[in-house]
Amino acid sequence: MVKHLIKKHLKVKSIVFSIVCLLNLSFNAQLGLAAEAAKLSAQATEGEKLFKANCTSCHAMDIKQVGPALQGVHTRRSEEWLVKWIRNNEKLRASGDKDAIAVFNENNKVAMNLFENLSEDQVKSIVTYFKEWTAPVKAKPADGETAPKANFYSETTLYILGFLMVILLVVLLILRRTKNSLKQSLKEIEGEVKEIAEPSAFQEKLAYYKKRTNPTIFKLGVGIIILLLLASYGFYFGVTEVGVQQGYRPEQPIKYSHKIHAGELQIDCKYCHSTAEKSKQASVPSVNTCMNCHKAVQLRDRYEGEISPEIKKIYAAMDYNAEDQTYGNNPKPIRWIRIHNLPDHAFFNHSMHVKGAGVTCQTCHGPIQTMEVVEQYSTLQMAWCINCHKERKIDVENNPYYEKLHAKIKQEKDNKSSTYSKYFTKDGKIDISPAQNGALECSKCHY
Amino acid sequence: MKKPINIILSIISVISLSSCGWKAGENDPGIEYAPDMYYSKGYEPMTQYSDTNKYRYNPYFMSMREPVKGSVAIGQLDYQYAYDNTPDGYEAAGAGLSMKISLSEKDQLEGERLFGIYCSVCHGMMGGNDGPVSTKQAALKPSWPNYQDKYIKELPIGKIYHTLTYGKNNMGSYAYALTPKERWSVATYVKRLSMMDSLGNLPVIKAIGVVETATTAAVIDSSKSIKKMKP
Repeated sequence: MVKHLIKKHLKVKSIVFSIVCLLNLSFNAQLGLAAEAAKLSAQATEGEKLFKANCTSCHAMDIKQVGPALQGVHTRRSEEWLVKWIRNNEKLRASGDKDAIAVFNENNKVAMNLFENLSEDQVKSIVTYFKEWTAPVKAKPADGETAPKANFYSETTLYILGFLMVILLVVLLILRRTKNSLKQSLKEIEGEVKEIAEPSAFQEKLAYYKKRTNPTIFKLGVGIIILLLLASYGFYFGVTEVGVQQGYRPEQPIKYSHKIHAGELQIDCKYCHSTAEKSKQASVPSVNTCMNCHKAVQLRDRYEGEISPEIKKIYAAMDYNAEDQTYGNNPKPIRWIRIHNLPDHAFFNHSMHVKGAGVTCQTCHGPIQTMEVVEQYSTLQMAWCINCHKERKIDVENNPYYEKLHAKIKQEKDNKSSTYSKYFTKDGKIDISPAQNGALECSKCHY
Repeated sequence: MKKPINIILSIISVISLSSCGWKAGENDPGIEYAPDMYYSKGYEPMTQYSDTNKYRYNPYFMSMREPVKGSVAIGQLDYQYAYDNTPDGYEAAGAGLSMKISLSEKDQLEGERLFGIYCSVCHGMMGGNDGPVSTKQAALKPSWPNYQDKYIKELPIGKIYHTLTYGKNNMGSYAYALTPKERWSVATYVKRLSMMDSLGNLPVIKAIGVVETATTAAVIDSSKSIKKMKP
């Protein structure tokens, strides 16, 4: 009976082990989708280079941007016409060419730049590139292989596995207990006397005090100790957790990545948060800021010719039609979720810190250029504010905001009785923190 | 539960387990001691209200509103702009628009700093059209090679200002970020860049008054020049 139980116990253990192994397996399968580059002749390669250097700011091959899509343009117009148009479209229009005037009118009368700096041969090579250009086709995986499911580890599978693990652990514990009690009873049957455990020092003392004191007072004392413990825990929790939103990183309506924009593309924070220098708020940029780039950048090459789904959301918010480049009358502002939220009784002004004091964004917001999803980096507690105001040094010499203060301090340098003399270090350098300049006044932030 | 220590431990473990939900993280802002202090009843900037009935007077229930037409903030230039966002307006601005304000040396240096924030991502700090964005996204690369090109040299400053205000081709408008004065200072820096010599020296600026000619903004002190190396 006992042996059988132990065997069963081992079996359970092995099942648990195998599940753990399963969980640890990792699949690094990647979809083998590599776009095959179409091979071009030497002349067309030259043309491609020129096209990318001169034309892509207004034209794309497959979609209409500022200028029309150039796919198949060589079938619509003669090569001679194209060369004339590209080199000097103004002259061609002035000569009364009907096609040229029609194209000009079709594209909202936006004049194309002149490219007389390109030689006729160079323009011809661009036209050759048009002829040889083919839409990039995504290579499909070979028939024999089946693409592994991308979401093999869905969350539900993980939950089910976790649930199973918990159940098995419970079973394990129960079996262990049964085994032990059976062992014990076996020993008792075999005549071994069960040893009585000696009471520990703590237990002895507890028993001693229990005997000595009135039972009600003893219970009350224990209760008070428990209450005190709970109260101190509650105090600690209230001070460190309540109202502190450090680590809050909600999922935003658009998966905007600061890692790509601020990190890889090195766009200045103020490019989008342009009011950080001018106003109390470092504003969430309006959608037209996105459109500065995303009117042209649609990442169609990554989504099989479709506009990226996240960029589509920008267009939806603007009611922008990417095909004919028009704006509708039904914009829907994006409901971004606010992360850094100071309560009303605390005043904070971005422009004072960014423009006045020259604090970098990262000082408070952390390594934002590495964050895929933005999270609150600092606690935004009052102690955190005060620490910074005490520890930072004001750069009075180079900051034009403190010109007057600097002049005053310099004037009083040798006057030992002056209140300004304490702002000097032993070697005569100015050493002044915001706290010394009145940044700890209650009414500076609470009014 | 004979031992009191068991009771204490179990209570504490229950509290600490439930406190996991009070701590901020992921989509949860954590527990707030006075929610009406965090989500103000009054209008707050950059807030969009879900109470559509209460804030029905503002477009899209936002706290932002456009200034009244024709109003000018104290100490600011008129933010309404006279020329239309059309090719004809562009030509008209080139012919008729000139800088009516004087820019101090400090203002012009500010123009350089603003160029670094808003323009250099595509146009490059020294105007080589080699910014970190335009080198990666071909669609944002300008069609002319650099700021020392004949095209920019001959471009009237009115056209530069017009382009900053409305955008042109794939370039967007920067009126959202730059006040009219700042736009003029950036346009002046563009003109200075176009006068950079082959060694990378920018012309020295001195305070300028009302600019007479439409083509040249910066008045250059040719006797001196600051050495400025290409990055």
